[in-house]
Amino acid sequence: MKLTQMLKSTALVGSLGAAALLGAVAPAAQAAQEYLLTVTRPGHLQVIDMKTNQVERTCEVPGNFGSGSIALAPDGKSAYVLSNGMEDVYGFDIRSCDITFHAAQSTKTLKVKTFQSVAVSPDGKELYTVQNPFGLERDRFTVEQPRLAVFNVADGIGAQPVRTFPVDRRITKIATTVQGEVILGGGDVKAINPKTGEIRMVTPLQSWDKGPLWLPPDAFAMHSQGEQSNEYIMPYVTAEFTDESWNFETAEWWWGMSRVDLETGEAERVEMVPFEFIVFNFISHPHDPNILYGAFNTLSKHDISKKETVAVHEMPHTYYDLNISADGKTIYVGGASSDISIHDSDTLEKIGSIQLSGDMSTSDLRVATIRD
Amino acid sequence: MALNNNRLKRVLMGTGALALAGLLSPAALATDAQEIIRDRCLACHTESSDAANSTFSRISDQRKTPEGWHMTLNRMEHLRDAKISAQEKRELIKYLSDTQGLAPEEAAPFRYLLEQDTNLVESGVDENLMQMCARCHSAARFGLQRRTLDEWQMLVDFHMAQFPGIELHAGSRDRPWYQLAHNETSAQLSEQYPLDTPEWNNWSKAKKVDLKGRWRVTGYVPGKGEFSAWMTAATDDDGRYNLKLEGNYADGAVIEGSGKATVYTGYEWRGTLTIDSVKMRQVMAADKDGQVMAGRMFLAMEDEIGGELRAVKDTGKAQVVAVMPSYLKAGESAELVIVGQNLDGDIDLGDGVRIDEVIARSKDRIVVTATATGTPAVNDVQVGSADSTVALAVFDQVARVDVTPTNAVTRIGGNGGEMEKVRATYRAIGYSAGADGEAGTDDDVRLGYMPASWSIEPVDEVAEHDKDHLYAGEITPAGMFIPGDAGPNPERKMSANNVGRLNVVATVDDGDSKVEGRGSMLVSVPDFVERVLD
Repeated sequence: MKLTQMLKSTALVGSLGAAALLGAVAPAAQAAQEYLLTVTRPGHLQVIDMKTNQVERTCEVPGNFGSGSIALAPDGKSAYVLSNGMEDVYGFDIRSCDITFHAAQSTKTLKVKTFQSVAVSPDGKELYTVQNPFGLERDRFTVEQPRLAVFNVADGIGAQPVRTFPVDRRITKIATTVQGEVILGGGDVKAINPKTGEIRMVTPLQSWDKGPLWLPPDAFAMHSQGEQSNEYIMPYVTAEFTDESWNFETAEWWWGMSRVDLETGEAERVEMVPFEFIVFNFISHPHDPNILYGAFNTLSKHDISKKETVAVHEMPHTYYDLNISADGKTIYVGGASSDISIHDSDTLEKIGSIQLSGDMSTSDLRVATIRD
Repeated sequence: MALNNNRLKRVLMGTGALALAGLLSPAALATDAQEIIRDRCLACHTESSDAANSTFSRISDQRKTPEGWHMTLNRMEHLRDAKISAQEKRELIKYLSDTQGLAPEEAAPFRYLLEQDTNLVESGVDENLMQMCARCHSAARFGLQRRTLDEWQMLVDFHMAQFPGIELHAGSRDRPWYQLAHNETSAQLSEQYPLDTPEWNNWSKAKKVDLKGRWRVTGYVPGKGEFSAWMTAATDDDGRYNLKLEGNYADGAVIEGSGKATVYTGYEWRGTLTIDSVKMRQVMAADKDGQVMAGRMFLAMEDEIGGELRAVKDTGKAQVVAVMPSYLKAGESAELVIVGQNLDGDIDLGDGVRIDEVIARSKDRIVVTATATGTPAVNDVQVGSADSTVALAVFDQVARVDVTPTNAVTRIGGNGGEMEKVRATYRAIGYSAGADGEAGTDDDVRLGYMPASWSIEPVDEVAEHDKDHLYAGEITPAGMFIPGDAGPNPERKMSANNVGRLNVVATVDDGDSKVEGRGSMLVSVPDFVERVLD
């Protein structure tokens, strides 16, 4: 049976991945200072010291609240925030709140929206967005081809794209691999070479070929926050029907994911646990890729080697996303409201809380690691 | 103010007396309205003229209802910075719906939306259009528009630019939504709802009947009951009708009001009246002969609270228009009100129905006590030689009760929040089993609206566990559901607000037995976007 094979290959890839990750993260983690970043309404980038769990700094984000999408520079010192109704990107030095970068993507004749898609190259020199342009003609709108826009970080305030390449519609979260590719999370997961515009398929989802008994996946990455495991997760929901009567009641429902190892650019696709409740954002344990955590109305822990949900903690309200400390011990659950809930990653018990000055709404919850 | 001054100047200098005649003359209206378009819309739209007529980009390639044009103009004002006075807006809505409206047959399947009767689940919607369009708004919203293919495609592009997240919603992100919408759905819409149709071609040329005159009106006001009244529509010098309404509720109490009405597209009746000191709106469609109008009357401040409305023109002929109630239990006596006009002669409620006493009688309203002595039947109600399609159902047993609305959405509100509660009013409709003796089959006989006692219950185990029936609201003895307060409720799991899923239960007493009917109710969150059409 296909699933068993998949399980085997997952376990294999998983354990190799774990070794690689351990190698990459563990030595540096000792000297590193971790900061938890999120954006609150009406427009504040919150910089939280993860040693003390106190807000260390609050940076003013210009423009109307966007979606709170945050991209990190590899050195952890700069964070790029999507603002102004998902049109502008502002770069901050998180140590001072200085604004180091601003790209206003819209013009008088073109309204440009970016759906979460902001990422920084591995050398920190280039910033990528996926732009969805709409032409503003006198008495009508036009819908233009989405594109990857490449900015030079050094261009700072007023930066304009230095290159653009056409990409698919419906791209949300993007991430960069060590090789310099940009992972594009849309109907399928693809990767683009930002030098040439060449695109390759990473994981077919919308265009997968799993046969008629599998529901086409509903894949959506609102938050992919894999910086602690150097990975990109595109979660999806699918169902396997018992027969061609396609009865939704008797179908087996699954959470699945395409998980891209940002070290190698390779992905695994797996139906990981039965779909029992809604999860808005998954992250992996930094030291055990078989362990996943999910947040929404519950904080949940999943062992994908067993395809099991191993623990569920009921939350007092909805939280959209979560992240984890580099040592894998502490989980931060945020989004939606104005409090970040802190939990033990083993037991999922709540061990603390951080109250912020405004609602996080759909904002990311990311960990910036400064190593000097 | 500048707008008004400019407009005034132009009127005085240019069209003079024609403008004063205003809406009365279609030709004048057209000239005037086109001038408004030129003044107010050409910063963005483009005029093309041939010898015979002018067309305006975008505008001329669409047809809509008065409400549809109203929405368009609202959008132009609020999102596109169009500067337009209230009077100009009224004139444009009138002109555009008269010249680019919908034929009666075209609007007929979707009258519920125009009537603001939104407590219903649409049926018969094409599966593709349901998934692509009616996922977010009613199918009537686009079913009440006619466009060229280009225009349907530009509507898709407008959706994309105005609501950029549209292709990321659940239900669209699993497919190439934009490509499908722009290429396939637009083509389907342009075939199903094209700009040019024989219906509109005929209707736009047809001679329209003036709806002024005297109308015999029957209807229902929640909390007050069924009524019958006379409504006179007299021509006003601003092209609208002055309305006066006078009559009685079924219990004899007086109903009285006055207001104004405008007729769009030759048949779309829109009235605003203050009735018993409450502002109400009428939305009706006249038949092609202008003899009968049917629709709904509801509170101006609360569209959901309203009831059926029907008006029959007084042409001097004798006519029975209603009997209240429309049923009589076999072996029992009851007081019946026969409503009509120019009624004269013997009252005949059919074989087996005995008139015991005529309590009151005039030419338009007869109150009798009658006894059903015979077997169940559906009898014609006749008075002398009057025309009548009105029936009295004699029944032996209420076999089934339907609750209307069958599906309703109410909304929590108040509690210091910005939005008021959205309520719902319920009525129970009784049926007898018909010839086959089995309830719920095609031959059930609709008896009519019946008094009922009202209660709520959780819709299923989950709703029961969440105690929806304790938090989501309550229903009054008169069948008015009042949802709970807005805002998080610390007593509920996850401090959920007072939303819930309920059944509304009507219990009708039928002799010694009780018959129950159920409707489903979703008590939802406040809706912060107010639309002319949902």
